[in-house]
This record gives sequence, structure tokens and C-alpha cells, in this order.
Amino acid sequence: MGHNGSAVEAEHLTKFYGSVVGLSDLSLSVGRGEVRGLLGQNGSGKSTLLKSLIGLIHPTSGSARVLGLDVQKSPMEVRRSVGYVPESPRLYEFLTATEYLDFIADVRGLSFEEKKERVSRLIQALDLEGKQGDTISGYSQGMKQKVALMGAILHRPRVLLLDEPLNGLDPKSARVVKELVHSLARDGVTTVFSTHILEIAEAICDRLTILQNGRVLAEGTAQELREKAGLLGSGLEDVFLKLTGTKGVEDIVEALMG
Amino acid sequence: MRASVLLKFAKVLLVSRLRGTRRSFVTNAITSRPIIIGLISVALFVMGLGLGWATISILISASTTASAMGQIVFTVFGGIPIFLIGFFFSMGLLWELNASSESETTDAINWLPISPSEYVLASTLSTSYTYSPLVAIALGYALPIGVLTGYTGAFILLVGVSLIAMFTGSVGVEILRSLLARASSAFSKVGGNAMVVMRILGVVVILVFTQALFSGFLVVRIISTLVGDIAATVAVPVFWPTLSITSLLGSDLLAAGVYSLLSLGFFFLLAYIAFALRSRFWITAPPSLHFSGSSSLSGASKLRWFGLSNLSIALVRREFRSATRRKEVVRLMAIPLILPVMVLFPVVFSPAPSSTSAPPVSVNPLLLAGPLLFGVGLGALFLGLTSIGQEGGRLWNIGSLPVGEAMIVKSKLMFASIIAMIGLILGLALAVVVFHMSIFDAFIFSGLGLTVVLAESSLGITVGSRYADFSEGPRPRFVTIAGSIIGSVLGIILMSVMGVVFVLMLPFSLLLFGGSTSLALIESLPFLLAGMIGLIFSRIGYRFAIGPVRGILTEIPN
Repeated sequence: MGHNGSAVEAEHLTKFYGSVVGLSDLSLSVGRGEVRGLLGQNGSGKSTLLKSLIGLIHPTSGSARVLGLDVQKSPMEVRRSVGYVPESPRLYEFLTATEYLDFIADVRGLSFEEKKERVSRLIQALDLEGKQGDTISGYSQGMKQKVALMGAILHRPRVLLLDEPLNGLDPKSARVVKELVHSLARDGVTTVFSTHILEIAEAICDRLTILQNGRVLAEGTAQELREKAGLLGSGLEDVFLKLTGTKGVEDIVEALMG
Repeated sequence: MRASVLLKFAKVLLVSRLRGTRRSFVTNAITSRPIIIGLISVALFVMGLGLGWATISILISASTTASAMGQIVFTVFGGIPIFLIGFFFSMGLLWELNASSESETTDAINWLPISPSEYVLASTLSTSYTYSPLVAIALGYALPIGVLTGYTGAFILLVGVSLIAMFTGSVGVEILRSLLARASSAFSKVGGNAMVVMRILGVVVILVFTQALFSGFLVVRIISTLVGDIAATVAVPVFWPTLSITSLLGSDLLAAGVYSLLSLGFFFLLAYIAFALRSRFWITAPPSLHFSGSSSLSGASKLRWFGLSNLSIALVRREFRSATRRKEVVRLMAIPLILPVMVLFPVVFSPAPSSTSAPPVSVNPLLLAGPLLFGVGLGALFLGLTSIGQEGGRLWNIGSLPVGEAMIVKSKLMFASIIAMIGLILGLALAVVVFHMSIFDAFIFSGLGLTVVLAESSLGITVGSRYADFSEGPRPRFVTIAGSIIGSVLGIILMSVMGVVFVLMLPFSLLLFGGSTSLALIESLPFLLAGMIGLIFSRIGYRFAIGPVRGILTEIPN
């Protein structure tokens, strides 16, 4: 754990892509077993933050710690304990789902019995039964997303980093994932996930962090964010639009109509 | 380094490769058992044994002298290692020419506890094992020759250096893959005309340079001009495995040992470079280079000078922009540029001159133009064949716009032709500079080349639209195997027809212009007729392509 008991910590993270700002002096702390939602417009820094937390992006300055480990100094150790689903998962398309998960399980060091039990349980839970012997290249986007999710949670990670995990999932699978995140949180698994679907964020997250231009714009429970925005009783969408300073939707429509 | 993970990962890469290559006619049940490659290797080893035994039996029965026998052993044993290095590298290179970014990216595993060095080793093992049957048959062939001629010791060394050669060629491909992945990620999202050219040239330079390095031609030429022929061979690392064998056959144990160690050292050096590059480019870097304002809107295009409508220009512009941002398509575009260079490559760099004051090489322009046009024609054909399939589902995005199928075919034709013509002009420029081809000859050849390019592009689009392969994956084909075969055969027939017309017209032209000293003038009539044939085929191909494209736009295949 981090020195203040948090499972995930970012301190003054800054990342530049050339002259473009990815993250700007961003600090964040996520407690053990907490489900943290990252909200923000496109390009606000959500994916960059998640990639920084697993060591896929080297910050220009600042540091990140996961389970007390410095991500830059010990990326392999961090990856052993973390499950990650990228925004657009890349899978080995010519493997079957079973073969892919078998490979991930071996990389993760699962025993044969554990591997067998986990793979069959996940395939059943996420409705891939009967399809697990087909090559992934023939799967729909949603099915590929399910395989990526299975790969991320196969080894019972202590921290889950999910970048738009519900992309392309059917309602039943999306519900399964939501319940899964809740269930994992009860077992002490920390989850940080980004989403554009505000209802889902409110439903499953303990706390929300709104990012804008690579900075933390606001942070708190859904209710605390409503209070900050001065919109008690409003939907999270209105709160989000007000906090991010998005101009009136009517104005935007008017501009579009020319 | 975990051996079990390494082997598992190598198996995953191997299975992906096998299924990506042969998925249309080999079932998953077979490709999921890599042991089959081992069994094929055993069978080929036995076959090699038989061939080697037969060879040596024939030589003995023919009362071959001991020195002649020694020369045969020298050639066979010395040839195997250098051949293996070139073979494994070339096979990897050919794979890379068709591989998509999916096959190179480390995004599929870089979030797992797998290190870059494990990735490189697993990939090297996978490449080596995939093509290992060739090593088996080579060593099977060499075994009876070595044992029955008393060179058992040399055979044992041959086994060792052959393995080193195999891994050297395979790990060389890993360096190339890292460089290509980096070149792709650096350029993929940056716009502007300058970047389009840079992307294509970047890929061409990397492929030509690495091919030159591993073929040895260029290196031998450079070193020989500095220090002489023998030293040149000694200084080229890819020759070291061969030199270790030939030294042992020449009873020079010390040299054999030194070259064996140097071969091993060269492999480790390449492996180190591959590790370093893969670590450096482990994560796909978002582009940070901005050579031009990619967000700017297009102004009036100079293509209007050729009478193209705004719609046609928009489609051609889209072809270039989308194609040059997809690495797999950039490589296809590189083919018409690489083929002419490759055709001229051995002539330019081999044999090494005996002195730096050697006169410039002079070759009959026709001997240069034939292979050059053939290479460019094949490149244009290949671009045409893949032009529809590489669009994938994006084709229906265009179909939803008020764009007719004829317009789409025209834009594809223009795209393939422009790229192929750049290749032709580069090849001709090389011929003018290096072989002193006259500018007028080059001009005539470029005219004929244009008709070859148009005819082959049209034919390619016609066949490519009928046999389009829209499946995405680690190694997208863009055209079915049947389509590739039919297209290649028809393309070669078409060029042969043009060639035959040219040859048949040559005597008539000689009669007409026999008094002229200008080769170009004598050849102008055959060129004209061959060119007309090309234009007729081009028109026919264009007409035949429209129907299948209409069919694709109206019915979305799975």
C-alpha cells in the first residue's frame, strides 16, 4: 500500500506529447477496495493517466505508485498485480479465446487447476460458451472486449485499470461487469476506470474524478460533485457539463445548424 | 527470463503466424500443434540423408578424385551457413512486407509482465522454428557427405554454425520489426504531402538497407573498394559462419575457432541491438513530429491540370492519405519502388571491382528496361489487386456518399499508377546515373512504362474487386489466394503479350529505321504498338472492374 494507505497514487504527474499536454501536474489517490471513475471529455487525459499507472507511458515529470510500488522503477512488479483493459484492446486475433486465456494464465503463473477453473468460469459468466474455440478474428467488437476483460481479471488482480471497459458490450454483459466490479471491491480490489457513460459511473463508483486538459477539475462522490456544481437534485450529466464549462447545448446545436 | 513463458509465447506467435498465413486451407486443429513442424523437419532430414547419400554414391561410383570431392564438400558445407542467414532473414522480410501493424505491435502484451528481451527471444524462436525444416534438410544432406568423405568433424561444426546462422537471420528480422514499428508510429498520424513521401521513403530505405546488409553485396563492395577483395569477405559478419567451416576444411583450427566465436558474437550483438530497440520502442509512441499543419484543409490540387473533377481529386487525395497512414498499405506501396531497385541491385553492387578506377558499368538499355518494367508492372498489379480489399468496411463509407463505382475505380487506378510510376522514374533515374542510359531512351521507356502500369493496375483492380478479401487480422491479405494466383498469371501474360508484340515488331522497325544510329528511334515503333496494347488492356480492365465494385457496394459481405 501507499504510505497513506492508498492503493493507487499519482503525484504531480505531467506528460507532454511534443507540445501537446497529456497530463498537467495531476495528483490522485485511490484507496484500497475503492471504485474510482474517471470522467472527462475526449483528450482530457483519462487514458494517459491509466497508461501511466501501468507504466506504459513515461511521465515527463511526477511519479505514480501502485500498491506501494513506484511504477517507473518497478513496472514488471506492478504489472504482475494489476489487471488492465486498454481502450482498444489488441488481442492475438488468430488464437481462440481459450488459447489466448491459456497464454495469459501461463504468463501470470496460474497453476493448471486454477487456470482451468478460472477460464471456464469466466467463459460461462461472460456468455462466450460455445464460441471459445473460434478464433478471435471472427468475434464481434463486444466479444473481443469480453476476452480482454477476462484476460485482465484472470489472475485475481489487486488493482484493476479499465479504460472504457463497457465499450461494445451487450446489456447483460455490461451488467455482469458492473456486478463484478462491485464484487471485486468487496474483496478489496481497487478499480480505476474511465467511462463516458455517466449513469454507469454514478451507479458503480464510490468516487468520481473529472479530468480536463490533463488536470483534476473536480473530485468526490456524485453527491459532492452536485454540491460543488450547485445543482443538487440534477442529473450527473448537467453536473458534468457545468463543471467542465461546456457551453449550453442549445448554443452548440445552433452553431452546428449554421 | 522464464523458460516456460518464453516457450509458451513463442508458440503463441508461431500459431498466429501459421493461421495468419494458411488459415484458408489448414484447420486450427493442425496449426495448434507446432510439433507438426518438428515432424516435417524429421521427414525432411531423412529425405536429405537420402539425397546426400545418393550424391556421394554417384560421386564415388564416378571415381571422383579426392581433391574434387574436397571441393564439393567445401562448396556444400561453406554454402549452407550463408544461405541459411539469407534465407531466414529474407523469409522474415517477406513476412514483414505483408504483415500489419497488429503483428508488430507490442500493445497486445506490453501490459503483461513480459519483458522486451523475452518478446525478442520468443519471436526469434518462433521465426526460427517456423522455417526450421530447411535447416533439417540441409543438415540431412550434409551428414552423409561429411561422414563418407571423412569430414565428420566439419559436419559437427556445421550443425553448430547452421544453428547460429538460423538465429542470426531470425534476430536480424527483429531489428527490422522494431524499426518499422517505430517508423510507423512516428509517421502514422502526421499529415501533409511531405510526410506522405517520408513515410514511403522511410519504409523503402529500411527494407532496402537491411536487405543489402544481409545479402552482403553492398558491404563487400564498400569494403573491397577500401581494402581489397579477400579482406572484404573476412570483414563481413554474415560470412563468418561460412569462414569457420571453410577454415576447418582447410585444417586451420585456430581460424575455425575464431570465426565460430565471431559468428556467435555477431549473433549476440544483433540480439543486443534487437533487445535495445524493442525496449526503446516497447510502447507505441504517440506522434510528436509535426512537419505540417495536418489540421489544415486542402486547397486547389494541381491534379486539376489533368482534367480531373473536384470529386475525383477528393477521392485520389483520400486514397493517398488513408493508404499512407496504414503501415500495411505503405508497404504495398513500397513494393513498386523496391522491385526496380532490387532488380538493379546485384548489377550495381556485384561483382566487386578489382580497383576503384574501374570504368563505369555500361549495360544495354533494353536489358535494364525489361526487368525494370517487369518489376514496376508487378508492383502496379499488386497494388491494384489489393486496392479494394485493403479498404475493408471503409469502402461502404464511400458508398454512402454520392460517388459512383466508376469514380471509385478511377481513383484506385490513379493511386496505383502514380505510385508505380514513381518507382519506374526512380529506376530509370538510377539507370541514367549508373549505367549511362540516354535521357531520350529513359523518356521512351517511361512512356511505355506508363502503359504497362495502367494496364497492370486496371487488371489488378478487376481481379482484386472480384476476389477481394476484407478480413482484418495480423496478416491481412486483401485479396484471396485464388485472386492472387489468377491476377499474377494474367498480369504476367499481359506483360508477355506486350513483350512479344515488341519483339515481333523489332525486325520491321530495323528495316524502316535501320540507317539510324539512335536505338530509341529504332525501338519507337515497337514501343508504340506495345504501348497501344497496354492502353487497350487498360481500358478493358477498367470496364470490367466497375461491375464487381458495384456489386460490393450494394451487398456487404461478411
